[in-house]
Amino acid sequence: MTLWFVRGLRRGVVTTRYPARPEESARFLPGPPAFRPGALTRETAGRLAGACPSGALRLAESEGQADGGALLFDVGRCTACGRCAAEAPQAVTSSGAFELAATSRSVLIKEIPLRGRNDDTGRTA
Amino acid sequence: MTPEELRETIARQFGRSLHIRTLDTGSCAVCEQEIRLLAAPHYDLHRLGFFFTPAPRHADLLLVTGPMIRAFEVAARKTYDAMPGPKIVVAVGACALGGVYPDDPFTYGTVDAVLPVDVWIPGCPPSPLALLHGLGVAVGRLTEKVRDLPFTAEDDDERIRGAR
Amino acid sequence: MRSDLVTTGASRAGAGAVTTFQVASPDLEAVVRDLSGLRLADMFASDGDAPTLRLVWANDAGGRQSGYVITETPIGGDQYPELSDIAPAAFVEECEIYEQFGIRPATGKPLNRIMLPPHADLPTLGRKPTREPDEVHAPHTVAGEAFEFPFGPVRQVGVESLYYGLVTSGEEVVDLYLFTWHKHRGLEWRLRGLTPPRALFFAERAEGLSAVALGWALAAAAEAATGIRPPVAAQRARAVALELERLYNHAAAMAALCQSTGLSVGQSAAEIALERLLRLNARAFGHRYLFGVIAVGGAGRAPDADAIRADLPGAYEEFKRAADALLDTNSFVDRLEATGVLTIDQARALGLVGPVARGSGLAADTRLVPGGPYNADIGTGIAVATASAGDVLARFNVMLAEAAESVRLIGQFLDAGTGAATTDLPRTSGTGLGWAESPRGEALAWVQLDDDGRISRARLRPASARNWRGFDDACRSQNVFTDIPIIEASFWLTAAGMAR
Repeated sequence: MTLWFVRGLRRGVVTTRYPARPEESARFLPGPPAFRPGALTRETAGRLAGACPSGALRLAESEGQADGGALLFDVGRCTACGRCAAEAPQAVTSSGAFELAATSRSVLIKEIPLRGRNDDTGRTA
Repeated sequence: MTPEELRETIARQFGRSLHIRTLDTGSCAVCEQEIRLLAAPHYDLHRLGFFFTPAPRHADLLLVTGPMIRAFEVAARKTYDAMPGPKIVVAVGACALGGVYPDDPFTYGTVDAVLPVDVWIPGCPPSPLALLHGLGVAVGRLTEKVRDLPFTAEDDDERIRGAR
Repeated sequence: MRSDLVTTGASRAGAGAVTTFQVASPDLEAVVRDLSGLRLADMFASDGDAPTLRLVWANDAGGRQSGYVITETPIGGDQYPELSDIAPAAFVEECEIYEQFGIRPATGKPLNRIMLPPHADLPTLGRKPTREPDEVHAPHTVAGEAFEFPFGPVRQVGVESLYYGLVTSGEEVVDLYLFTWHKHRGLEWRLRGLTPPRALFFAERAEGLSAVALGWALAAAAEAATGIRPPVAAQRARAVALELERLYNHAAAMAALCQSTGLSVGQSAAEIALERLLRLNARAFGHRYLFGVIAVGGAGRAPDADAIRADLPGAYEEFKRAADALLDTNSFVDRLEATGVLTIDQARALGLVGPVARGSGLAADTRLVPGGPYNADIGTGIAVATASAGDVLARFNVMLAEAAESVRLIGQFLDAGTGAATTDLPRTSGTGLGWAESPRGEALAWVQLDDDGRISRARLRPASARNWRGFDDACRSQNVFTDIPIIEASFWLTAAGMAR
């Protein structure tokens, strides 16, 4: 048994300093996406909502307009599966966020603005 | 007691000592593995004053995984009721937050359909780091960050950094 | 007397390793007797004008693995012939089929509640049974005395919910039976009507610790049903992920073994190795548990070969150091030796798979089935580790040998070249069987696709669904309460995989 004690000591400390210090390995963790509003036409947003297996993406009801409006993103439902990024890579990137805990459920539902009809950035979906 | 008062009471009374009971309402077993790793050398929750306890009577916080399978409801309620107050419920993972199973004959689909949840931790699974952050938020020692994250990126950003 | 077998043809998909026979109900008993030299891998039914009973047999006697035979039998009425030659290997499935389809063996023997909770009116895959299942457990007593107590489903910290019924005369385990119906998420019911890619999302999460294996099995079943083959580079990417999955699971099992024997520093050493392997998974494939690697028709992600080559040697070295130190610790080895013994006959009779079966001397390994990336593209074969003692130590040694082999295989697959690519699936009807060697043994999936390419019946059979039935036998006789966690760690199964 003394041998195990010595082995343990010899191995040294591997414990993270988080939360006092940032944890380097966190940058390799999968996380929820971030969306580029400039590339989010209503059509693209609709495709993203269809690709999501968790129901985390949903088109918000637009107030009578044909364009504009919002994509509702429920971070709580997201499994970081990557299907939305595969569906429209120009519109989706990684958020790099992993500290996602929330004290109210509604705080996890985000409104992502869609590209409006008059938003002429010269980009195609 | 309002949520704010509860948090202040907990932070004051329990200081840096929190006992955690885990509850599996139907997970795929991966969230449990991440939770077990909280006690492992890389994360060591003990250094933060967090401890696991098998006895609901000793527990301050209930860490719940899974989509709340209906057949499990009685066991879930009994475990929650066996904990003396004040107590905190933390829902862990996409299953518990409604991202995998819907409200249907087999599952409620979310933990908060049955238990009063105080903190929700997204992820599939949430990593031990995310769990440590969530536990810190639950006792008021760490800041909740997701409230201020927009999950949008400028067109030429490779990624936006979550506040770290 | 050999009945007439009508071959419906070998399966498509280039595996060439599956043969399906239509067998009429009166001939079934004789056919089963003819096939009794094979291992019964699974038994399930599907709905239709009459339920169709399917038996899946693995042709892997003597360590050679040549593929699978499936028999399909329509069952009119609510009984099928007594298939006594296949019991006890099929008892769990007979109970499950009764709950889901209302058909049962002709002898009328009592069937247990298995998958569905009591007092619940849940949707079934077919016609509900007319009578509730019985709840019969073989009475075991010691000198006429024994008492029975329930344990769980809420158990110790950080483990899944699982219900044991423990029958004991004091310290000794006289009998032990398990219920997992509180974790039944109705996955096979849920998969109906989904496309295979949508179904894959659930298959990965049936038993997340075997996400690669079960995802691979489902994807392969859909590929077999539609006659397509994934690109070779994608198959190798899948194999790298499967071996990484094996490695981290064996490290986790080692940690659980240390925890069960109270060796804390050993547990920490194993957990350090486990965490390094999980971080390697995140660097290599973008997810600590390798979700999202398998895609229907290929692989959704290619491994970061440089990251693996950089990090795997150190992580495995950590694992091996811990394992060697443990095998050098007599007090630890003493707890493992002669604990939880399963003889080769018990393992064979129950149709067990994986390290549990190999630790008892059965040399089957699904990776040897021809047509997969393990033999098609890799020159050297796989060294399949077996042991003969059938105790916890034997299973542990098998896992350690497998871990070493996994490291070697990963290097070979990376050298041969991996890539993320998929072959598109045509939208066509068909049936297909898929398989993969999960860390806990053979994982199977079978799908029936309709003309739209959507699932009309999917069968998921993780290794846990097969191996839990061996746990009772392993825990009985000469084992005491404190041995139960040790035996459970050596099986390294999940309740989720049984319950689905």
